[in-house]
Amino acid sequence: MNEKMDLSALGLSDEELFSHVDHSQTESEKITAPRYSYWKSVFRVFFRNKVNIIILSLLIFMILFAYIYPAMTHYDPFANLRDANAKHLSPAAAMEYFGPDLKWILGAGASGEPTFDAIWNGSRISISLALLCGAINMTIGVLLGAIWGFSKRVDAIMMEIYNIIGNVPLILIISVMAMLFSPTFWTMVFAMTVVGWLSIAFFIRTQVVIIRDREYNLASRCLGTSTIKIAMKNILPFMTSVIVTMLATEIPSYISYEVFLSYIGMGMSEMSLGKLIYAAESAMVTPGWEIEFWSPVAIASIITVVLYVVGQNLGDASDPRTHME
Amino acid sequence: MGKYLLKRLLHGLFSVICVVLIVMVLIYSLLDRGKIFSGDPNFNHTASNNRITYQQSRWEAFGYLDYVPYVDYVNRLAADGQIDEATRAEAVKIGKTADKDTELTAQYVAQFTQEYQAKGYQVVRLDADTKKNGQVRDGGQQALFATRDIPLYQRAITYFTKMFFIDNIHYVPESADIGERGIQFTLYDPVHNPEGAGKKVFSPAIIGNGTLHKYLLYFDGRFPFIHQNILTLHLGESYTVNRGVDVFTTMTETQGSYVLDTITFPTGVTADRADDLHSATYVQGSRDAIASNQQWFTDDYTNVLTNKAGMSKLGYSFVIGIISTIAAYVIGLPVGLAMALRKDKLLDKLGTIYIMFIIAVPSLAYIFLFKALGGKAGLPTLFDMDSTGKLMYVLPIVSLALPSIANLMKWMRRYMIDQMNSDYVKFARSGGLSEGEIFSKHIWKNALIPIVHGIPGSIIFAMTGAIITERVYVVPGAGNLLTQAINRYDNGVIVGVTLFYAVLSVVSLILGDLLMATVDPRISFSTKER
Repeated sequence: MNEKMDLSALGLSDEELFSHVDHSQTESEKITAPRYSYWKSVFRVFFRNKVNIIILSLLIFMILFAYIYPAMTHYDPFANLRDANAKHLSPAAAMEYFGPDLKWILGAGASGEPTFDAIWNGSRISISLALLCGAINMTIGVLLGAIWGFSKRVDAIMMEIYNIIGNVPLILIISVMAMLFSPTFWTMVFAMTVVGWLSIAFFIRTQVVIIRDREYNLASRCLGTSTIKIAMKNILPFMTSVIVTMLATEIPSYISYEVFLSYIGMGMSEMSLGKLIYAAESAMVTPGWEIEFWSPVAIASIITVVLYVVGQNLGDASDPRTHME
Repeated sequence: MGKYLLKRLLHGLFSVICVVLIVMVLIYSLLDRGKIFSGDPNFNHTASNNRITYQQSRWEAFGYLDYVPYVDYVNRLAADGQIDEATRAEAVKIGKTADKDTELTAQYVAQFTQEYQAKGYQVVRLDADTKKNGQVRDGGQQALFATRDIPLYQRAITYFTKMFFIDNIHYVPESADIGERGIQFTLYDPVHNPEGAGKKVFSPAIIGNGTLHKYLLYFDGRFPFIHQNILTLHLGESYTVNRGVDVFTTMTETQGSYVLDTITFPTGVTADRADDLHSATYVQGSRDAIASNQQWFTDDYTNVLTNKAGMSKLGYSFVIGIISTIAAYVIGLPVGLAMALRKDKLLDKLGTIYIMFIIAVPSLAYIFLFKALGGKAGLPTLFDMDSTGKLMYVLPIVSLALPSIANLMKWMRRYMIDQMNSDYVKFARSGGLSEGEIFSKHIWKNALIPIVHGIPGSIIFAMTGAIITERVYVVPGAGNLLTQAINRYDNGVIVGVTLFYAVLSVVSLILGDLLMATVDPRISFSTKER
């Protein structure tokens, strides 16, 4: 429409050419900026980095593999128990003895079991434990931490509890739980969550205390916003990235802690990754058997590192300050 | 300031007491006490009634309950002179069942039952376990005893009142004939000036008679050169880990092989032994009981500790811990700082990968990795107390320092970047200050304040040792004491070690706050000055 048009040539009156536009209160409130969706931006920033895509696919693959593979292969650790020739085989020897198969790719263990199957079975237990403990601890921790941070009365009581419980050694609590009930998977979940939420709640409490008395919240309060609405609308969005970053350190830490507990002989009865490492410790110093020890260690490390990196980068991406561009 | 400190200390004391109470509830009330027999070979050799009385006596030893066999009761009556020997011999013999008791026995059984039931005990009578032909089964002898669980409050009160022991001249029972009781000050310590020695060695000492320890204060050639036995700490007696020895002693006594030395005993006899005469404690009747004691000692202060070549558990843990802590601060802080100054450059990226590796990978994995690498490089991977080599310290120190370095790097970088982006730095820059000036006069000092808070804690906790590192390298340190005690149901040690840790953490928090207040003039703990 660059060409100039002679309106008078159309022979229309002014009323026909122009119509009056009313001033609209609602329209004037709208901002003509591009639409901003928080979560869309989080994923846009996250996927912009190609490394993240690779690591995320690796994580998804490992988790799926840890759940699907053991379900499909029906792992029986004692299948070759009576076969004296099947024990402590190197990958090549195992392939030769049993015939080529994916499950002998890491050799055979102390009771002739395929190390590869044992590791993925253990990974499934360890990942389940970490995800469950993470979910329970984070839910309780964030909710109670928010209340703890908001209420001064709750703060006084909770600080006392925190100071006392924090000084009771965690190994003592876990071993008491393991002895009280049997050392099963669910006992371990219970033992890790019974006081595990406390440190998360304390961390969240500190964050809430920092943000709680900022000017914009003060203004919000003066305008009559309810505390719950302030918590949900003003403070929670501020803390999303903190919570995601925390999740990134928490979940791998449960896997590591389980490995630690198994190593000192206080783990659960299921053959988790930690239990595998503990059982194979003597194999580490025996020449030719090292792979039995190093492969669960390596898989545990890869799982924790991948979980950590994905979580950290997701945490970075969920910080709105990285969304500007 | 003083008032604030007192308040903090009292508050810490309260937390410590609560921690001890919680731990006591956990281990004495919640746990199945039958578990202590799982690794006990004697338990399987007992049967029938003997098994029940054996259980009771073990539970008493582990501190669960108070157990009084009827025999002990009657014997005590005899010892107190309330009954004569003939009555005692008669009264002890209880019948196979209650109605088979003689009249005299029944009278004392009734007295026993009444007395202990009044005290809240449960009196149990086990009838003889007989076969069909009337013979008593193995271990099936009749038994009578009173038993009572020790209530929490009583346990706690006894624990805390017995914790500090101040040696006094009335320790030895009044009935013992030990000559004149008293405390004597000498300028010439008899250990350094044995009978018949020509030259006098000046060495002041305080010697007690009637006290538990013979030497209450003395000097010797070992660190810290002046030693006292007036106040001793009792954190809890061990039952399985280090039988009969207090937790605090277990942590502080020397270990390893004996150091033999020619020592002159109080009688003037010399012998090549490792005994430390300064540690002599009183054991009634011990001189007459053992022939060698008569030869060496002149009194009943015969129970001595021995000198050993190695350090104590705390000592080993502290040496390894403190060196790794110093290394962590020396390496971690400058690297973290450099990372912040060169944000998003190569060094920062490498450092971030290292931090990520240490945080994410299970500590067990990298400790074993370093053990394998160190072994390949020819470093000793196992700790040997009798060796004098210093190389065996290298791997444990490195393993401990790695995570601390990562942690310090992470926080130093974080605090530095936070400070660099703050408004006062922008203001200083706009005011024309050079970057160097801003850094050394403003950012550096502010970023260091939160770091300073953690210094006392990391120094104090250096001595508690690390569980995995000490286990992997077989370091005879204090780190494994708690796990050992848990695995072997040593309740006394569990309580003692927990208390020790709780006190350390309270003290290090207070010291951290004080140090932070001295570094940062804005922080003040007294309300008046504000």
